[in-house]
Amino acid sequence: MMANVAKSEKDLAAEEVGRAVAKLQTGVLTLVFALISGLGLFLMTVWLLIRSGKRVGLHLQLLGNYFPGYSVTWAGSVIGFFYAAVVGGFVGWSIGTIYNRIVVFRQRS
Amino acid sequence: MSHAVVIGGGPAGLTAAYELSKLGVGSTVLEADRQVGGLSRTVNYRGYRFDIGGHRFFTKVPLINDLWHEILGEDFMLRSRMSRIHYRGRFFDYPLKATNALAGLGPVEAFIVGLSFTKAKLFPQAEETNLEQWVANRFGHRLYEIFFKTYTEKVWGIPCTEISADWAAQRIKNLSLPEALRNALFSTMKSKNGDIITSLIDQFNYPRLGPGMMWERCEELLKERGNETMRGIKIETVRHRHGRVECIYGRTQEGECVELGGDHFISTMPLRSLIRALTPTAPDEVLEAANTLRYRDYLTVVLIAKREKIFPDNWIYIHSPEVKMGRIQNYKNWSPHMVPDPARTSLGLEYFLWDKDDEWQWSQDRLVELGIKECSQIGLIERDEVEDGTVVRMKKAYPVYDQNYQNSLAIVRRYLETFENLQTVGRNGLHRYNNQDHSMLTAVYAARNVAGESNDVWAVNTEQEYHEEKRSETVATTVPGTNGDRMTPRRLTPDELIEAAFARIDPVALGTSVGVVGGVGLFVATIILLFKGGEVVGPTLSLLNNYLIGFNVSWTGSFIGLAEATGGGFVIGYLFASLRNLGMDAYAWLLQRRAQRDLLEKV
Repeated sequence: MMANVAKSEKDLAAEEVGRAVAKLQTGVLTLVFALISGLGLFLMTVWLLIRSGKRVGLHLQLLGNYFPGYSVTWAGSVIGFFYAAVVGGFVGWSIGTIYNRIVVFRQRS
Repeated sequence: MSHAVVIGGGPAGLTAAYELSKLGVGSTVLEADRQVGGLSRTVNYRGYRFDIGGHRFFTKVPLINDLWHEILGEDFMLRSRMSRIHYRGRFFDYPLKATNALAGLGPVEAFIVGLSFTKAKLFPQAEETNLEQWVANRFGHRLYEIFFKTYTEKVWGIPCTEISADWAAQRIKNLSLPEALRNALFSTMKSKNGDIITSLIDQFNYPRLGPGMMWERCEELLKERGNETMRGIKIETVRHRHGRVECIYGRTQEGECVELGGDHFISTMPLRSLIRALTPTAPDEVLEAANTLRYRDYLTVVLIAKREKIFPDNWIYIHSPEVKMGRIQNYKNWSPHMVPDPARTSLGLEYFLWDKDDEWQWSQDRLVELGIKECSQIGLIERDEVEDGTVVRMKKAYPVYDQNYQNSLAIVRRYLETFENLQTVGRNGLHRYNNQDHSMLTAVYAARNVAGESNDVWAVNTEQEYHEEKRSETVATTVPGTNGDRMTPRRLTPDELIEAAFARIDPVALGTSVGVVGGVGLFVATIILLFKGGEVVGPTLSLLNNYLIGFNVSWTGSFIGLAEATGGGFVIGYLFASLRNLGMDAYAWLLQRRAQRDLLEKV
């Protein structure tokens, strides 16, 4: 019973703050995805290099299939940063754009 | 029949008189100069016609467009526009185009511009009261320094940090990166829904013999309808009693005194001068406020060069800090009829000054010499090509938007509104940096008020419809209730802030977008490996079949992966949005409980 009361109060609160649907800031999303992806791959590569070993980063190395020139080396970490930033940025931009378009479409319909 | 007195024979004053004549109200127009047209007049020097600044006739107000065609008829020409920015020896397209600007700046400068833009987007300045802050927050500090600072400071004569953000909000279109990229990649400008945007940028209307032709024709039409225009009358006193203006005293250039009474008065003269002319004197507070309103003066040095073509632009903005001139007009490119000899070109070099500046007092010869020197300095013409030159001075050409003007203007406006038969219109009459069309619209409204309507001339909105890139609209440009003050970014109301803070993320939309990106991403990743080939293709990516049943790095597998990753992505996006919304609801509920508790405690 208490749970039901609490739920209806919650719903009431939700109604009171309005039913506005947020739009994603595509530019910000692009930048955030780009930075996280770029820095992520950079740090992952650098981490493996610091740990070192005979065969460094066998699996991460496979990203070279998609990013020509990328390898688990110091130069590769910088190259990887740019590649990952571009791909990440594109993913962020795509998610933001598709989301915003669908929101507009759903609001119209 | 009632009679109106119109102070000023510029676009606003003559439009007011013209509209009054249509409404059956007689009027007398008083113009201080020997020529009508005000800032929009055309000066004739030995057959060479020139404009005081460039006046493109474009408008999004159908009423004004109709008026122009009605007055000028066949003498209205459609002209192509070209304008560029000159900065440190290079030319940049204006309006700015991303590819052209970045190519012109070079890779190193372009990189710095990019970094500066990113910084501005990530860490914008919290305060946005002056022009520098407004522009730097939107374009980055580096672009601000290259394309805004020097020219703006030349035009206004004060540091950008002292210019109110209003001006920027009113005159500068915000930068949309996707739009800039779209424009850079596709030559035809299209709006998001596919309509081709009306190209106000590329073409404009222009009277065959310059803008003054419009106003001389307007004066003729007024005369035909029995309305007088008196030229060379300087207003000295505006006499009023019991909240009504009774008569105006002016002086001719020959020194004779003129007295003119009327039922209605429409003034386009600068507000500062109007307040000073009021007799009995306005209250001290109003006088003080009016005295703080400032105006930028401006002079044109006209050079006549014996060369058929100098540059293809209508005008060029001179951002280069090493020269004083701010803009160069090539009158021949506005209309070929502006020059009597096609083998010659007349250039108008525009200098923005205060009337207290030394250059304002310089002789004509000295100013012409300065113009020749600066033109050859930036490589436009050689000294020996210049045959002749002259100078035209224009006082109070631009109302200045400094940090104090809004308060002063509000005081002056409140006081003027106490007069029941006095209205102020036009650029200087409203102390608003309007273009010709908006100035004219205020005059039309004022004239209609005389005939019994009740329009708020201050409400002619200059923000919503100014930017040329927007599509032509058929709606009126007034926003009721805004009183024309919505020129700065408006502060959100508490309700809007709450709504924005608690806005829900649409789970279906987020699910779909994450799903599509995930599915397509895996599909592309798979087929890249398939195209690369090899003995064993993609053993590592194939490990995803631990989660995606039936997936492997094969053509069939790529489609299975597409479908499953799309579904999986949808679920992830949907769940993320739903959980986030649930969290926000819970937080809102918590806040509400706290508010209720606080209220109960107070009770």
